[in-house]
Amino acid sequence: MNKLDLLQLAQKSLWRRKARTILTVTGVMIGTTAIVVMLSLGIGLNESQRRSMESWGSLNVIRVQPGTNYDNEGNPLGEAKRLNDETVEEIKAIDGVWAVTPAYDAGGEARFGRKRGGLQLIGVDPAAMENLEFTPLLGRLLEPGDRNVIVVGSEVINQFQDEADIKKMQRGMMISPGMREDKDPADIMDQRLTMELYSGTNREQKKVFAFQVVGVLEGEQKEHSYQAYAPIEDVKKMRRFLNQASGGSTSSMSREIAMKMGGGAVSVRRVGGSKSSSRIEADDYSYILVHTKDVSDTKIVSQALKDQGFNSWSMADQLEGIEKTSRTIQAILGGIGAITLLVAAIGITNTMIMAIYERTREIGIMKVIGATFRDIHSMFLAEAGLIGFFGGIIGLGLSYTVSYVINQISKDFMNRGMPPGTEEAIGISLIPGWLALFAVLFAIMIGILAGLYPANRAVRLSPINAIRND
Amino acid sequence: MKVTALTKKYRIGQEIVTALDRVDLTVKQGEFLCILGTSGSGKSTLLHLMAGLERPTKGDISINGKTLSGMKEKDMALFRRKHMGFVFQSYNLIPTMTALENVSLPLIFDGSDTRERVGKARELLIQLGLKDRFRHKPQEMSGGQQQRVSIARALVNNPRILFADEPTGNLDSKTTKEIMEILREKVSQSGLTLVMVTHDNELAEYADRCIYMVDGMITQIVEKGARHEEA
Repeated sequence: MNKLDLLQLAQKSLWRRKARTILTVTGVMIGTTAIVVMLSLGIGLNESQRRSMESWGSLNVIRVQPGTNYDNEGNPLGEAKRLNDETVEEIKAIDGVWAVTPAYDAGGEARFGRKRGGLQLIGVDPAAMENLEFTPLLGRLLEPGDRNVIVVGSEVINQFQDEADIKKMQRGMMISPGMREDKDPADIMDQRLTMELYSGTNREQKKVFAFQVVGVLEGEQKEHSYQAYAPIEDVKKMRRFLNQASGGSTSSMSREIAMKMGGGAVSVRRVGGSKSSSRIEADDYSYILVHTKDVSDTKIVSQALKDQGFNSWSMADQLEGIEKTSRTIQAILGGIGAITLLVAAIGITNTMIMAIYERTREIGIMKVIGATFRDIHSMFLAEAGLIGFFGGIIGLGLSYTVSYVINQISKDFMNRGMPPGTEEAIGISLIPGWLALFAVLFAIMIGILAGLYPANRAVRLSPINAIRND
Repeated sequence: MKVTALTKKYRIGQEIVTALDRVDLTVKQGEFLCILGTSGSGKSTLLHLMAGLERPTKGDISINGKTLSGMKEKDMALFRRKHMGFVFQSYNLIPTMTALENVSLPLIFDGSDTRERVGKARELLIQLGLKDRFRHKPQEMSGGQQQRVSIARALVNNPRILFADEPTGNLDSKTTKEIMEILREKVSQSGLTLVMVTHDNELAEYADRCIYMVDGMITQIVEKGARHEEA
């Protein structure tokens, strides 16, 4: 018996008991909808958490910091690792690592034109920059061989203010710039940015470092939006200058980067980790950025780094706990849906058993004229499977509708109280393609499983009883 | 077809009923055999056993040298599909299908393609004078027409053996005559073997040979022409 005929026969016999078929299909439809909507809530939850984490920083980046790891009780695990070129090589050798750059932290006040403001400057390997998930909004990224150039985050411009305004503020004529308007990041492009550094115990030595702004990074409200990136060699030079005067590596603990700010010196940012900073040499990096291709790699690499005694931190580590929670929620929600579908499956079985009683004679005749056990079996399974299929398809359609409604309602709540201009919250119910496919296949499978028992009964019917003359 | 020492016993409650008691019978190819007997004589049981719809308690049936009792259920179904046709007293058509669909049903199980099976079904229905009844459902047709549809269904797979169980039991005498003439003609024309079970002595005249059964045993065999005298 070929498959098309089988389906045609099944569809015909379903259609001749319309009311019952429709009711049974409705059961499957409700079951499918319950499962899909419940799972979609879990998936939506997961996704929105992931996105909010991602908006803070990439999930593919691991930050290796100086210092030791601590176990749950707060005891140090092993010795602190130094962050130098050797360690960079060591990290590069780990499987799953895509790009590595050492970084120097420096900061202070900088000025361009008539504006000045605080600048958090990070020295990175220019060659690695394009592998670190940076994309330029304007201009370009750092390139190998770059010197004395700088790429800034999109929010950096907002940290600079006119000299005149600052003076007014100091005299109390202007209240703090609470509602600072957004400035166009293009204003800082191609500007010459200068930083004046002082060194020595009495700050007797002065040196000016100048950078050309060659690019502005894409992305608002990210970690890197407030930072500026320069070639690591330049930043190294700045640090050497600071260190050489204050006594080299031994005084690294007290090392300060002093900046000139309107006549007064401000000391900012002690470079290095906290507890084991005594072991940090002057030339050691502030931290090392490790980049992976995807989140799963991040987790593996992050673990590998920890195993090797590095003090590593990544957004992906934080994600794990959240994922665990949402998996639990998903399981609970899915379970509720599954119960509904189970009830529907019992409905299918019931309908098919009824059908057998009605069609005892018909089944007998078919056997007599040459239907094999297998033919009868597949006919009943096809009918049950079709009920599952129609229920699944209609249920999926309904799920999309329900999901849409849920999202419309929830959006009103979620966007309330958010500052305008922030990214619109994504829906709390998400139906990915695989879920849609899974739902329909699952409904068909449930139908077939529910049809197994009735089909076996149909096969066992004696043809003699069926054709016996009334 | 050869039937040897065929015995069938049923258990009804505590009692064991012997429906067939060591029956021996040979049916020749192209023969019209009529099995006559009152109800409960075992004639229907004999037909069911010969058609492989039931399994004998003892004894054996072989068709063209093939032993039925050794066959698996699936092979039996395939054998019926390829080589046997059935006509019943109550027609046993599928009520939701049209005449054309009913006739082509055995070919559907056989997996033949739509054009081929519809062609065959049409041809047979036209032969049997049902040209304008293709799209009718069974309940829209008279008894005689339904029985003709069922004969068409029985013949659609070009069987070698046709089994008929009281084929005219529900029909009036005029239609009975029609149906019997159709069956007789088919046997004479195509070398088909027909085994018919009936309690109607009148029908015996169409057969080449008649056997009489009482209480599960063959009591008399009458060759063609020799008219049975009621005893």
